[in-house]
Amino acid sequence: MTAANFDRRYLLMAATGVFVLLVVIYPLWQVLFRSFLDAGVLSLKSYQKVFSYPSYYRALLNSVWISCATAAMCMVLGTLLAFLVIRTDLPGKKTLRTLLVLPYALPSFFAAIAWIQLLGPQGYLARLFLEVLGFATVPWNIYSAGGIVFVLTVHYFILVFITVAGALERMDASLEEAARTSGAGTYQVMRQITLPLVLPAIMAGGLLAFIGALANFGIPALLGMRARFFVLTTSIYYALAIPDFGLATALSSMLVLVALVTMALQFGVQRGESRFTVISGKAVHPSELKLRSIRHLLFLMTSALVLFISILPILSMILTALMRYWGAPITAANLTLQNFNYVLSFEAAQRAIMNSLFLGAVAATVAMLVGTVISYLHVKAKLRGSRVLDFLATIPYAVPHTVIAIAMILAWARPPVSLYGTLWIILVAYLAVYLPFAVRTTNSTLQQVHDSLEEAARTSGAKLLPRLRDIILPLARPGMIAGWILVFMPALRELTVSILLYAYHTETIGVVVYNLQDAGYREIAAALASIVMGLLIFGNMLIRKLTGGIAGF
Amino acid sequence: MEKIRINNLAKRYGKVVAADAVTFAVGDNEFFSLLGPSGCGKSTVLRCVAGLEEPTEGEIYIGETRVNSTADGVNVPTELRPLGMVFQNYAVWPHMTVHDNVAYPLKLKKLAKEVIETKLKDALHTVGLEKLAGRYPSQLSGGEQQRVALARALIKEPEVLLLDEPLSNLDAKLREQMRFELKDLQRRTGIPILYVTHDQTEALAMSDRLAVMNAGRIVQVGAPAEIYTRPADRFVADFIGLMNFVSGRILNRSGEEATVEFLGSHRLNVIDRSNLSGECVVAVRPEDISLSPAGVIRCRVEVSSYSGHLIDYKVRADGVVLRVQTSKTASYQEGAELGLTIDRAMLFAARETEPPVR
Repeated sequence: MTAANFDRRYLLMAATGVFVLLVVIYPLWQVLFRSFLDAGVLSLKSYQKVFSYPSYYRALLNSVWISCATAAMCMVLGTLLAFLVIRTDLPGKKTLRTLLVLPYALPSFFAAIAWIQLLGPQGYLARLFLEVLGFATVPWNIYSAGGIVFVLTVHYFILVFITVAGALERMDASLEEAARTSGAGTYQVMRQITLPLVLPAIMAGGLLAFIGALANFGIPALLGMRARFFVLTTSIYYALAIPDFGLATALSSMLVLVALVTMALQFGVQRGESRFTVISGKAVHPSELKLRSIRHLLFLMTSALVLFISILPILSMILTALMRYWGAPITAANLTLQNFNYVLSFEAAQRAIMNSLFLGAVAATVAMLVGTVISYLHVKAKLRGSRVLDFLATIPYAVPHTVIAIAMILAWARPPVSLYGTLWIILVAYLAVYLPFAVRTTNSTLQQVHDSLEEAARTSGAKLLPRLRDIILPLARPGMIAGWILVFMPALRELTVSILLYAYHTETIGVVVYNLQDAGYREIAAALASIVMGLLIFGNMLIRKLTGGIAGF
Repeated sequence: MEKIRINNLAKRYGKVVAADAVTFAVGDNEFFSLLGPSGCGKSTVLRCVAGLEEPTEGEIYIGETRVNSTADGVNVPTELRPLGMVFQNYAVWPHMTVHDNVAYPLKLKKLAKEVIETKLKDALHTVGLEKLAGRYPSQLSGGEQQRVALARALIKEPEVLLLDEPLSNLDAKLREQMRFELKDLQRRTGIPILYVTHDQTEALAMSDRLAVMNAGRIVQVGAPAEIYTRPADRFVADFIGLMNFVSGRILNRSGEEATVEFLGSHRLNVIDRSNLSGECVVAVRPEDISLSPAGVIRCRVEVSSYSGHLIDYKVRADGVVLRVQTSKTASYQEGAELGLTIDRAMLFAARETEPPVR
């Protein structure tokens, strides 16, 4: 190739390649590398440490069994609800579905805070139990492994629900009808035809819930650390506080390993599902199961469940935000707006809101721009090597956020480039965290833009830049805006990365809520959380409107 | 003068050969088609001409310009090649009006607004879309979108026009109509067209010349009538039009006249330029067979189907099923015993794989 017709797209590829290298690859490599380093020499000492101290290897075991238990409960709850909502004539299914998805739109540590308000000592439900129903003690303890599994399940069951609901909707109705005409009754059809067909979806959803639970920091941090019950993510947090980088990186590498294995399994299950050609993309509506006499009973039960897991935590958060002080008797005299007043004039909270808005907006914009270029190079230009770039940019998807935070400390908190204590290190971490989302959403957007639309621009005489400006970007714009909001919203409420990277003056909203809650200022934490909740629910509605209900929850 | 010249073009994807040893030229004013079954490499060749694919080997000229030469490392980017192209799915940009779609190539050339508007008017007039300039593609029918794509390809006055199965997404009636319009447009503008299609009727009806492709290679180049009446090999004979294949034996030949024995002991003198001898395949077009009660070869009508301008028969003679098409008014019942006469036949070598029985 001569210089005259050098393909400029390679320039774009080089630029994004450097970006991915600095933001993703180099930091993550540092984690792996440092876990094998002891006083500058390669060694397995850090791993030996993990396996010789019970408190560390127990964290690994805890992580695994907590995630397994969560996944199992999610599979049961998610599958049952999916069946009810998709395949029966339950009244009000659409509303139920929307409400079921609601908790997932809120950050998991908000859920932990709300459930502490409800079930913790002096919690609303605990008080109901003790004072109104007259029990001597409550038969539960939210600050325990059980509490963690409970809140994780309430937060992640939706992943099973969505995958199973999707499979049930895509299933060819004639398969069941064939069983019916062969003489099978309703129950037999469900057990022998429907359930086996959606089993891969149940498995895939369960594995997603497992990965979610494994990588979660907020819930085990708020519910477990007080009871000295540690999982991998909280142990890493603890190891960083010592600080013991060898230990933190060794634990991180193990966390990533478990996550990768699970993700590989999930990938396999999904491929297995696609081999089942019977579940196709056809829009044949499967028949609805008539519930008859139990229809109203089931409706009441489902509504009660939705009320319990979706509505109650939100109400609890708002109620707490309105209380004069935490634990006050619930009377009109004790309701006040002073917490909102206080939190909005609280300097750290003001700073945090500005910081989070800034970080969210910049991270969303940069991630979407870089993501769009990467996905253009891969999906449309199909340049040699662009597949690798796309793959490298999606790696952080498999990496728990705790590990990404450590990676940033190792890579960008030491001379010559020390970003520690600045907003920039949090920004770089956010970029790593959200780049996969950006690439994925633009990938699917650009896949819908037919290749010939760009080719027609080329045969019309358009070079690279006019082509991007006039054809590709306008056509990808709706998807890019949706993607921007999809990055901005979670970034606004981010906790895990920020809590490990923040310093005085660089707090984020998540950090301030967490610290207020941790220091016992629950009503003020609740006030800030309520404001963010309002923003998130509004943003969610906006994004559903923008994408016609395809994205968002 | 040659407007497109392709020398020894090859395109390979790893071990898969999409096109190989492709050589042909399209003259000024010529309507040239690449015809072949799907996957034969015709679209690959077209996309190489457009610059949307880079050839693995070979040279391409558009007009005087060498746009590809693998030997000298020349690969002019698509956007600099003097060509217009119409895509199978039209590729009309959905976020632009008809006006903006068609004007886009001129805008890229940074022409003055008035010049653009004048040329635009002409282009829209050429394809009969003056009244729809303000519409968006979603408000247009398939045929109208097709015209937008055509106007957009023509407006920058390219040296050649490339058409990639442009009619395959239209319904039968419209396809027929567009066929005439395209041909007419080409006569009026005089622009050379390289046309890709898998539809042999289309290719025969529109082309000045066409190249039949199979498995990445050009099998035969010629005028439609030449290809229909003198197919170069059995593939072309089978692909173009309908054809009956019957095994036979060449008894003797003198020059270009051979006597062949087939369908039992029936003998026929055939003009044949090959030097085949012995076992062979006799190919007969359905319209070259006539049925009559007095016909020499006895046969029995198995299926008779009426389709307006002709009657389509399947008859069995000597254990072989033959397709016969006749426009004669006399019609025979299924099961009728009668005779057939073969007016014309072609000979091909025997040791080739059997084409699928139709």
